Amino acid sequence: MTAAVRQPLDNVLPWRHDLVGCLWTSAATILRWHSVPVLETLGAAWGFRHLPGDVRREEYYYPTPPGVSLYQALAPYHPVRSVWHEPADADQGWAQVRAQVAEGIPTVVAADNFYLPFRPAYHDVHTNHLVTVYGYDEQAGTVRVLDAVPPRFDGDIRLTELAAARDSRNPILHERDMFFTDRPIANRWLEIQVDVDRFAPFDRDTIGDTIRRNLDGFAATVGADGGLLGLVGQRTYLADVASRLDGGADIRDELFLVAGAVLANTALHADWLAAAADAVGEPRLAVLGRAVQRIAHHWTAIRILSALTTTGDADGDRLRRRFGGLCDDQARVLTEMADTVAVLARR
Amino acid sequence: MSTTALPTSSATAVDLSGVFDNRGTTQRSALDRGAFNIWSNTFPAEELPAPGGTIVLGGVPFHFPAPNRDGYDNFRCGGQLVNLPVGRYDWLYLLAAAERRSEDMVALHHTDGSVDVEWLRVSDFWAETPAHFGERFKLSCGSLHYPRHVQSNMSPAIWRTRVPVPAELDLAAVGFPDNPAIHVFALTLVAPAVAS
Repeated sequence: MTAAVRQPLDNVLPWRHDLVGCLWTSAATILRWHSVPVLETLGAAWGFRHLPGDVRREEYYYPTPPGVSLYQALAPYHPVRSVWHEPADADQGWAQVRAQVAEGIPTVVAADNFYLPFRPAYHDVHTNHLVTVYGYDEQAGTVRVLDAVPPRFDGDIRLTELAAARDSRNPILHERDMFFTDRPIANRWLEIQVDVDRFAPFDRDTIGDTIRRNLDGFAATVGADGGLLGLVGQRTYLADVASRLDGGADIRDELFLVAGAVLANTALHADWLAAAADAVGEPRLAVLGRAVQRIAHHWTAIRILSALTTTGDADGDRLRRRFGGLCDDQARVLTEMADTVAVLARR
Repeated sequence: MSTTALPTSSATAVDLSGVFDNRGTTQRSALDRGAFNIWSNTFPAEELPAPGGTIVLGGVPFHFPAPNRDGYDNFRCGGQLVNLPVGRYDWLYLLAAAERRSEDMVALHHTDGSVDVEWLRVSDFWAETPAHFGERFKLSCGSLHYPRHVQSNMSPAIWRTRVPVPAELDLAAVGFPDNPAIHVFALTLVAPAVAS
């Protein structure tokens, strides 16, 4: 039996980036708690992967091949991995998270914002979100929660509120219950493993290897799991989305989820390149980072276009124009990237 | 908002009401009357300048929009072509906000038929992060409207951003990109500081 009171753990800190959501902010909090660098870890891998049928209605959706954990997918070049725990019920869900926190481990849990009093969606919109739990006082009936997604919250809520959020069916009740609803929260929580001693230094070799791995990934087409990979896979997926919209399919939520994940991945890699430029004194990498940032900004537009497909404001042709601009710009960036890494290798 | 404005003769506010297609501000008494973003959030009108008035932000005067006859007070960039008072300008200053930060190209149409393209860049309207593109001035609010409630601990912003006009030619029109993440509320043209 764990103690009824666990003082808030030390070094549980928020991290925020304007183009990412709760998956990355909570991962960053865990990485910071382990005292490993956030951007160098979450921003290293850049790629495109789409697994038909894999898109899950979660704010923290990220394409995850079979046999690969969520955190491995998020940071495939780093020694991090995760395990989803799906407790039988709310009581077991709290017992498991309480045991983690009692042992001194901040724990990322899924929660429906509808029941979280600090979220704007409180008693308004259902969704499937992640927050970090890092203390509790069962005598007072409270739990300490950190959520870096605006409006940032770092404080106590009622245990009953967290329990309701974790046990929510996450239903669709009105027109603003979009994208992340209709998937029960199921009291899920993440066990996260970070092998701190195996982190490679952020140096010229690591940076060069990382860029080459990303280029190899973009040159791939179809994965062993049948997923669409690389720039060819991206073009194929986007063409298919536009065609399905032409045919009357509702692609809004799927494209919104896919775009959100790629947007975050791309934006973080842009900043990773800027950090790499600074780390090794190579301004070319900063220029490359800015070019990748432009790719992220295409995805910002696509994310909103997806939402407009059900209002009659975005049809297949409008999507195709944006998709074409994105993929053409991205092809140029990848060429520049190959040129840059070749120049760096000669030095 | 600053109190020192450019001379009126060097700044020309452009009437954009004809291309408005979105309602981005609401009164507390009618929260569900707008939908700035895809979640139907809106800026609190009570915390913004009076609709239809002139404001000065960072020395640049803007016509702050009132809802047009359709009730709209801004437009999502969707390829609009806006005719301008023909003249020589160095800068397009805009009041704009983005549903997550974005950038795209605007087309500057000159009277001689030539076209230049320049970047329009706008930071996120509710990021809780600093301006990404170096915007120095903004209209900042202390709350955000939801269709059913007012969220008092959020700080959405409408940014003042600018687009350069490099060609020393008369400008006739500006074409906005097809990027619905970017919203424009106001546009002011600023003439060269020193005439050639």
